[in-house]
Amino acid sequence: MRPFRMPPQILRLVLLTVGIVTSYLIARFFLTPASFGELGWFRANALMEIASAKPVYAGKKACDECHSEEYQKLSQAEHKSLSCEACHGPGAEHADNPDIHKMTILTFSHCVRCHEADPSRPKWHKQINPKTHYPGQVCTECHVPHQPNEVP
Amino acid sequence: MKPGFSRRRILGNLAGTLGAIATFAVAKKAKAAVQKVLVTSDAPKGYDPHQHQWLMAIDVDRCIGCGHCVEACKRENHVPEEPWYFRTWIERYVITKPAPGSAQSRGEVFVFSPNGGMRKPGEGQPKEPPVDLPPKEEVQHSFFVPKLCNLCHHSPCAQVCPVGATFDAPDGTVLVDPKYCIGCGFCIQACPYGCRFLNPITKTAEKCTLCYHRITRGLKPACVEVCPTQARIFGDMKQAAPDDPIRQFFQNHRVQCLKPHLGTEPRVLYAGLDKEVR
Repeated sequence: MRPFRMPPQILRLVLLTVGIVTSYLIARFFLTPASFGELGWFRANALMEIASAKPVYAGKKACDECHSEEYQKLSQAEHKSLSCEACHGPGAEHADNPDIHKMTILTFSHCVRCHEADPSRPKWHKQINPKTHYPGQVCTECHVPHQPNEVP
Repeated sequence: MKPGFSRRRILGNLAGTLGAIATFAVAKKAKAAVQKVLVTSDAPKGYDPHQHQWLMAIDVDRCIGCGHCVEACKRENHVPEEPWYFRTWIERYVITKPAPGSAQSRGEVFVFSPNGGMRKPGEGQPKEPPVDLPPKEEVQHSFFVPKLCNLCHHSPCAQVCPVGATFDAPDGTVLVDPKYCIGCGFCIQACPYGCRFLNPITKTAEKCTLCYHRITRGLKPACVEVCPTQARIFGDMKQAAPDDPIRQFFQNHRVQCLKPHLGTEPRVLYAGLDKEVR
């Protein structure tokens, strides 16, 4: 009996297949980003990369660290649900370095932004018509922004 | 014995295979180490996405349409200033009275969102573009609805991404990996809520991340932080105590999501929604 010999065409086919599969595995190893598949079908490192952005708004607690007097006044009055940065603008820069003064001082337009009468606004919200409600006067002549129910 | 099966040859082959596996492992470790160095070190430490389940609730009855949230979102996330790029925006719904004699419960529905509902205070800035609101006598009711990414459980946007750049993170957020986004725009078309846009500078898809850089540091998202009426309630369902605002909200309100028929199961839930809101 003749000993079995692999037919050369089959051998070539097997070698070709092995070559293709190996090159695919090598390519996949180098092209798959690290941490891909750790949490799911995505790059897990992307989470911390997105999280590494710097906040622009510091949050109300940061204001309390230095301006606790104003913070206390505000938290006892009608405007207690307001964040400082809603009116005064973003403050992370100022919170990191108190020498940077970029905070907004309130003007008329800040008050009417919320309190101008608008038919789409809910009825419980206090609203005024700036054309008839003491026109030409500054809001703060009669209202204290931190304690809206008090008279200056 | 056949010459192909000598002991020396088998041992040699075995050693070669083991060597290849060892090289492979070392190469993988080296690659991981190199990429770890490249990851920025500004990221907050000790954040485990498996320990959180973020959720946003919106009380439509409390929204006064002031636009603070839209402005804060733009500043916090450096969204382009043009009035068609928004991660969150406010829509004004105006529903007119039905025509006299008709059996309808309501007339036409108008939706307005000039500049995303953002009102710019102060001098020298463009005012809100004029809106052709229907006359007051014809209006049946009218209200504001804040909109943002609905953070779907079954996100159509993550399904269609061809490169795995958009994904559902384990903590309930749906994020975009800006390094792997190729800007093809499939996700923008797939989003049924219109929450995505292509950033003109980076040419990658962008959307609300729930201010991921803030919530991982223990801060609230910028829109929740500045909302003067607490129309937006934000919380962590895995960590929330029974008296947490988000738990209180679900005790006191009946909630609904947008487009429930699509089966996307949004994590953003609305209280006081009208049937016309989509």
